[in-house]
Amino acid sequence: MTNAPDAKPVLQVRHLTTSFRTDDGIVTAVDDVSFDVFAGETLGVVGESGCGKTVTSKSIMRLLPEHLTIYGEQSEVIFEGKNIIRANEREMRKIRGDKIAMIFQEPMTSLNPVFTVGWQLDEALKYHTNLSRKQRREKAIEMLRLVEIPNPERRIHEYPHQLSGGMRQRVMIAMALCCEPDILIADEPTTALDVTIQAQILDLMNGLKEKLHTAIMLITHDLGVVAQVCDRVMVMYAGRAIEFGSVREIFHEPQHPYTNALLESIPKRGSRRSRSRRLPTIPGIVPSLRNLPKGCRFNDRCPACQQRCIDEEPELINHSLDRPVRCHFPLNQKTQTESAH
Amino acid sequence: MWSYIVRKLVYNVPVYLGIILLTMAALRVRDPVAGYLGKNATQEQIDRLTQDMGLDRPFYEQYGKFLWQIVRLDFSEESWAQRGRTVKQILIDAIPPSMSITVPSVVASAFIALVVSLISAYFRGRLIDRTLVFFAVLGMSISYLVYIIFGQFFGAFLPLHQQWEFTPFAIQGYEAWTSWSHLSVLGLNIPYPNGIKFENWIEYCMLPVIIGVIVAMGYDTRFYRAVMVEESNKDYIVTAMAKGASKPKIMFVHMLKNAMIPIITRIMATLPFLITGSILLEMYFNIPGMGRELITALIANDFPVIQAFVSVLALLFILSIILTDVLYALVDPRVRLS
Amino acid sequence: MIVKLIKSRGMRRFSRNRLAMFSLAVIIVYFLTAIAVMLGAVSRDDTKERVGPNRLPGFLEPIGAEKRYDFDKWWVSELTNVFERAARENARAGGDPRAVLDEFALAERTIADGSYEDLKPAFDAMTEAWHELDDVFAEQLDLDDEAFAIRDEIKELQAEGEDVADLQAELEEVEALLAELAPRAEALYQQVEANIEKLLPMPSGFAGLVYSLRTMLGTDSKGASIAAQAVYSIKIAFQVGFVTALVAVLIGTISGAAAAYFGGWVDHAVLWVVSTLSSIPYLVLLAVFVYAFQAPALAEWFNNPERPALALVPLYAAFGLTFWIGTCRVVRGEVLKIKELEYVQAATALGFGRFYILLRHIIPNTAHLMFINFSLLFIGAIKSEVILTFLGLGVKGQPSWGIMISHGADGVTNFFFWEVGAATVFMFVLVLAFNIVSDALQDAFDPKHV
Repeated sequence: MTNAPDAKPVLQVRHLTTSFRTDDGIVTAVDDVSFDVFAGETLGVVGESGCGKTVTSKSIMRLLPEHLTIYGEQSEVIFEGKNIIRANEREMRKIRGDKIAMIFQEPMTSLNPVFTVGWQLDEALKYHTNLSRKQRREKAIEMLRLVEIPNPERRIHEYPHQLSGGMRQRVMIAMALCCEPDILIADEPTTALDVTIQAQILDLMNGLKEKLHTAIMLITHDLGVVAQVCDRVMVMYAGRAIEFGSVREIFHEPQHPYTNALLESIPKRGSRRSRSRRLPTIPGIVPSLRNLPKGCRFNDRCPACQQRCIDEEPELINHSLDRPVRCHFPLNQKTQTESAH
Repeated sequence: MWSYIVRKLVYNVPVYLGIILLTMAALRVRDPVAGYLGKNATQEQIDRLTQDMGLDRPFYEQYGKFLWQIVRLDFSEESWAQRGRTVKQILIDAIPPSMSITVPSVVASAFIALVVSLISAYFRGRLIDRTLVFFAVLGMSISYLVYIIFGQFFGAFLPLHQQWEFTPFAIQGYEAWTSWSHLSVLGLNIPYPNGIKFENWIEYCMLPVIIGVIVAMGYDTRFYRAVMVEESNKDYIVTAMAKGASKPKIMFVHMLKNAMIPIITRIMATLPFLITGSILLEMYFNIPGMGRELITALIANDFPVIQAFVSVLALLFILSIILTDVLYALVDPRVRLS
Repeated sequence: MIVKLIKSRGMRRFSRNRLAMFSLAVIIVYFLTAIAVMLGAVSRDDTKERVGPNRLPGFLEPIGAEKRYDFDKWWVSELTNVFERAARENARAGGDPRAVLDEFALAERTIADGSYEDLKPAFDAMTEAWHELDDVFAEQLDLDDEAFAIRDEIKELQAEGEDVADLQAELEEVEALLAELAPRAEALYQQVEANIEKLLPMPSGFAGLVYSLRTMLGTDSKGASIAAQAVYSIKIAFQVGFVTALVAVLIGTISGAAAAYFGGWVDHAVLWVVSTLSSIPYLVLLAVFVYAFQAPALAEWFNNPERPALALVPLYAAFGLTFWIGTCRVVRGEVLKIKELEYVQAATALGFGRFYILLRHIIPNTAHLMFINFSLLFIGAIKSEVILTFLGLGVKGQPSWGIMISHGADGVTNFFFWEVGAATVFMFVLVLAFNIVSDALQDAFDPKHV
């Protein structure tokens, strides 16, 4: 696990702001989020449901309904030197599935029920490669073998409903990876699966990352999954990125009270607390995007909330070295940098 | 597959028995003989007709006898209102006129509605979609009867009355497809319609067909669009987008194949009406089809005809439902193997 | 249950839909009108009473020359009739001609005040003018025919390329004669109409307003007010729609919920009935039910003129028995889903009775479906009523939009659209409003299903 990412970023997201036109007016689901994805790494995006994780990933892929979605003026998603947030539909189609691929939470419904597995694998190859029909078929079988599906020659003739949930997610992964994309966005890929299958799928993704050298952006609310596969972590809350860090940093020295609270709410085996006391939970609920609190968005649930938190929203600042956090009073600061006030 | 069909058939037997029971009971709530003969009939006349029809027998006996008739498709009683014609004859003669209206109108309305709803679903939320939906609701809010009255007025009456150059449609009547001939193949008598003339069809049937299509348009478009929009919201659409599929590909391949399942069901559900015909159109345009015969029989208290027609219609209805299920299984892979 | 529904999120979304709120207002206006009719604002007699000549057009349509003649002729003959009877009464010793005159009335429009002798001159003037007009009119018709024939001939000759100068001259001559007659006819028309007005003055004040409302949409083929019929029909539509939708929704919800919740033989039985009934084409089923309810004993009971409300019972029954099927299916599907939800499971685990859970926890959660279905069935009932009435199986003895449309259908071929038109517009607005409301309800409670 490398702490400092080696090469240059494959994807740079800058000031991503995504809003929707709704019946109640314009609602901003992702507010000024910036981050990088480096080649070969796994970036975990963590947060409670409704915090903007999925919208972030769909904005990168531009999968949101175009006529209802507004991207902020300054939003940039830079991929291969181009701002794809302003790219047209044809350019996007060339990127989707080929350069950036995505897998989804619900393997049960994410595959088209009326087409065979083989047809659906073939489709992506048809759009992005010049292979012949026979070559594509071989490639499809190869991909199914790669995701460890037994009997791929027979499976390609089957329909999604004939496969188990885990199998379907493997098919989704095979489909996403068949054009060897630079980035794989996995939106809660294991949430809908049994725990044992979850582990298998995560192992599989880890293995494939090494093999194909694909960067993975893993979206999850499950910190266990993050610990297992991620290199770096971005924590999101109510549409904002609130903390960045390596997995080790996040787990051992969380700086944002929200991250801390998230970690507290995981049961820990062997710790004294789990035996004697109740598992702590975060009081309150995620604020509605229609009705955000003034100041820090976490202020009403924060145990260390002070007047300043209610008055002004904190900026994303490096309090420690290369650990941006959006908090006025961060925890666990090792090397307090005496930067400009 | 075969076991599936057999299972469906067996499942529908009690349903059909129920229909016959219900029909026979409903038709006996009032005394059909007294109703037909009127107040001036003598007791003797009433008794005779009651005996002829077997209406004096216990109900279960009548029920059994009628079922046996249906099994053999033997409706050889004489009609009360149309002396000299058997129920079977009336039934067979009424089918071709009905079909010459309904077949074209179902085919045309399904096709047009499919195209319109695809346009609507493709431009979902845009002006064109809203306009189409608005017109569909508007169209649905007008009575069928008003469409027929004004359709006939503007389509046939006004051109003839004003002596316009172009008067393709007759005001009413039917002379398109009147009789059956039989073709003997391998000892089987295969009936085929005799005397089809296309000009006649245009003159007598085209206007009702157009009206039927216009009426169906609102309902069909809305239903098809709702199905399509629902499919467009499914996860697999996003998957296809993420794969890099173009919007037409997504709409016409991924979405349409899924949407076709409920749409085919809906079209199949109208199949029995191919034979029963549109009662209103037939009544208004004086087309001697099944619907018209049935309503005329109801008004004239023609008991044998009513009973036989309702039973046969229900039988056709059930068969078409079974056919729908089978077709469904063919289209939807999820049904086929479960 | 209703309070809960109104407070629900879907209802809030619904109330934000402006078009739907407007449509709801339209429905309320109709509803209030129906209540007003029920309280006697428009009685059944009002819908039958003669208010003018047959097929009088409504307020906007100008009356053509031919129709003007026909309408004036009707007024003249009615008045002649009355005055002849009055004259006979006058001749009889001790007779009271005024009483005869008082008998005549077209709703609010009665014969002018004054004794028989006072009115006699106006009547005589009218009769005299009318006789003259009769002759002029006949002459006009003859000349018209002549002109028409000449024009035909000109057309024919022109097609053959022959000279038509003679005929043109002849035509001009006829047209000149016609033009000469026109002002004379007009003067006579005015004379006749002025006298009619003198004998039968337009009532003033409130009565005048009522009378002009009555004739606003014209009269039907029996001279009865179309406006009164159209308004009275609102009541019938609400009766039929409300009763049948209510009955059908109740039967459908209870049977559907019970089938889904209890399962087992209840489910089998309900499904059997549902598939049986839905295996008969809907219009045929309706027709058979209506037929069954026409049994002489029943018909006598229902068609008792003293209890006109009962006359609609066969229709209610036929609709109610057919319409619940759809609701039952939808509710059954929904309850199958609700049954698996945690709170129902929890209620079961806590040991609440099954009927209690069904009534307290399950059926209230189908309230939005009940509303949507109610609205859809309401429309269905109104539309089916029209169709059944046309087929001779529907409403009898009371005005309804169905009766108006099927009666008015003959008028259409005589270019008289008011009767069909009025019924259509009244019905269209109500049905459209209901369609919009039920659409908005569906959108609000099931946003995905747009």
